[in-house]
Amino acid sequence: MSLGPGLAERAHPFTPIAATGAITALAFLLPGPWGPPALYAAVVLLAAATGVGGAVRTAALVCLPLWVFLVLLHGVLGDGPATAVGPLRLSRDGLALAVAQAGRLGAIATATLGMLRAFRPSRFLDATAARGWSFHAAYLVVATLQAGPRLRERAALVLEAQRTRGLRYGGSPPARLRALAPVVLPLVLGALAEVDDRAMALEARGLAAEVRRTPLAPPADTTADRATRLALLALVLAALGWRLAGWLA
Amino acid sequence: MEPVSALRYEAVSFAYPGAGAPALDGVSLAVGAGEGVGILGPNGAGKSTLLRLAMALLQPTAGSVAVAERGTRGLHPEDFAGVAGFLFQTPEAQLFARTVREEVAFGPRRLGWDEARIASRVDGVLDALELAGHAETHPYDLPAPRRRLVALATALAAAPRLLLLDEPTAGLDRPGRELVRAATAAFRRGGGAVVAVTHDPVFALEALDRAVVLDRGRLAADTSMTEALAAPDAPLPPPPYAEVAARLRLPAASPRFEAVAAALAASLGAQ
Amino acid sequence: MARVSAPAEEGLVGAGLVVEGLVFRYPGAETPALDGVSLECGRGLVHWLFGPLGAGCSTLLLAAAGLAPRHTGGTLEGGLTLLGADPQRDAGRRALLGRVAVVTPAPALQLSGVAATVEEEVAFAPANLGWPVERIRAATAAALARLEVAHLAGRAPAALSGGELQRVVIAAMLVLSPDAWLLDEPGAALDAAGRRRLRALLREEAARGALVVVASEDADAMLGAADRVVLLDRGRVRAAGAPEALLAGDEVWREGPGSTSIAALARAAGLPAPHPLTVEEGVARWSR
Repeated sequence: MSLGPGLAERAHPFTPIAATGAITALAFLLPGPWGPPALYAAVVLLAAATGVGGAVRTAALVCLPLWVFLVLLHGVLGDGPATAVGPLRLSRDGLALAVAQAGRLGAIATATLGMLRAFRPSRFLDATAARGWSFHAAYLVVATLQAGPRLRERAALVLEAQRTRGLRYGGSPPARLRALAPVVLPLVLGALAEVDDRAMALEARGLAAEVRRTPLAPPADTTADRATRLALLALVLAALGWRLAGWLA
Repeated sequence: MEPVSALRYEAVSFAYPGAGAPALDGVSLAVGAGEGVGILGPNGAGKSTLLRLAMALLQPTAGSVAVAERGTRGLHPEDFAGVAGFLFQTPEAQLFARTVREEVAFGPRRLGWDEARIASRVDGVLDALELAGHAETHPYDLPAPRRRLVALATALAAAPRLLLLDEPTAGLDRPGRELVRAATAAFRRGGGAVVAVTHDPVFALEALDRAVVLDRGRLAADTSMTEALAAPDAPLPPPPYAEVAARLRLPAASPRFEAVAAALAASLGAQ
Repeated sequence: MARVSAPAEEGLVGAGLVVEGLVFRYPGAETPALDGVSLECGRGLVHWLFGPLGAGCSTLLLAAAGLAPRHTGGTLEGGLTLLGADPQRDAGRRALLGRVAVVTPAPALQLSGVAATVEEEVAFAPANLGWPVERIRAATAAALARLEVAHLAGRAPAALSGGELQRVVIAAMLVLSPDAWLLDEPGAALDAAGRRRLRALLREEAARGALVVVASEDADAMLGAADRVVLLDRGRVRAAGAPEALLAGDEVWREGPGSTSIAALARAAGLPAPHPLTVEEGVARWSR
């Protein structure tokens, strides 16, 4: 069914990033209540087709509590005619707003997680080096993106150590979060200290050199890549134009 | 009646999910009170895995593990916190309190000790590891070797009966290694059992008396430490002084430092 | 206590590491970590900074690398030049770029974090310096071979053991053919074979004319590798000279970091200085 497994990974690194940016813009530009959910559906298909289908489930799990919250918030607090849904009376306008916002959230979350799944730091850095952009800046972007997984690794290590000292870690997610509470701030500080130590170590390896970096294996920027990015830009501009026309009319 | 073992592995196997070969394959081992066991072998032999199974950080895929005759199946590390202490390889990752004292007190507090008992225990442990002067320091302000000692202090804090050490002397200077050796010896004299993964020949010889050698997940040998280090295919090179003793054929009571020095003095004095 | 300054031996004097009355304090510290250090280390020799924890060996290396006080904070007085340049100034750092290898004890903290393979990790520095691709590939292969980790070229750094990682990190510096090596306990994560390879590598680099300065508290490991030892204690130079001479005496035990295991054995057996320093010397001295 998929067009090309791993397409998201094989494409030029800028393309998935551009796609995520475009999807985010479109999520806000497309008119509700059905524009954003339709976009979400399209993003889900796109993720599956380009080999990052796993992001769909992760994003949905992350969004689920927020979706429920949106429906209840806008449905209960909204004005106007209402429909009965079980024991609740939910405003129709409120529900429409909730559907739009839920779709927006789903589209952006899925696109972002899909992009991160396909992200390969060395390919991205080679792509920026091939264009002569500042390597130092690109490296900082990548290091920041990787701070998340690194923090998770450190959290797992600290948690392990604390459990061997008697920290009870079980039960519901809120109980687990409470167990982690004393550890969060030191974790972040430790992660920051590590970034600092690493930057110090990399100076001797020319991280801040003012020379143009040699890309080791520059990813090909195919016609398809460039065409896709242009098409995305055109789509966003069209949506922008359409909305502006709507507002000015 | 069979004595209660501090730690027992019965035909334990373990495979990491997705890995090809098992990390451990049918390992059986029993450690008694007061014993000091070194887990030796090349990289990738399964040493750290064996140690982690001891405190329910991992569950065996076959066989069983018991700490003080209590099986680990279905249980978690925190269930053994009162009876075992674990020293991880990277202590920097596990320190999180604002002062060394708070760090060490964390374990006993989790176990519900009263404050007076906690205070006296923490003071005792800090004194033994020469950390008393740093009690109010932030752990991250200490140099790496002292942080390792703080981590050891946290493993000892709750007065465990079993001490599990993963490379306890790696990265330490000579005085630091001596402190770890002395703390290990004192712990064993008090009846505690020690199981340590180590690549340090001096720590292995001076602090431990039994060697369990792993090779690609299997138990290759389970002998005394002196036998293991003297073997032709020994997993570790002998400490320099043990080598001197062997080559001079000194009539030393053991290849340990004190015994070799005494034998050397005697043999040269007799000349 | 008289301040001792340690003059350079033969070698390219002045083009190595020259330190003049260096005083360094970490932020908020009352006692200085370096308290008036003066020494000269010439190129073509392996220099060993030997001292107990807190003596200032690591701090001195950080200052020589231009990382203290820039990254660590604190205050620095006095003079320091490396390869004729001042690493505390921008112009000096630009002149030194790609010519100074800095190796610290923990391999994980020296990784770029963005390399998918070991080969990419080693290629990181030359790529940053804009070398052409063919030169990078050749230098990378050579460096990996010299550290005996060519077989790991395609592996992900995260999958390596500590010892393998440290070899990769050293290779990642060797690839630049640096003019100066500043190493802080480089053997901490290495096994016995790795330490032997490192010792040989340092001697080869010195023979090639590079400046090699190693801070280590492991006398057994450094004795065979160092041409010259500088004893540091509480931020000051206590003595400097040939390792065999300085380490065989008793002063290094009374007022310093101690010496090798065999010297320790000789002392414990109640024998007088000068002590044998290696297993071979001990066996030769004490066999009947």
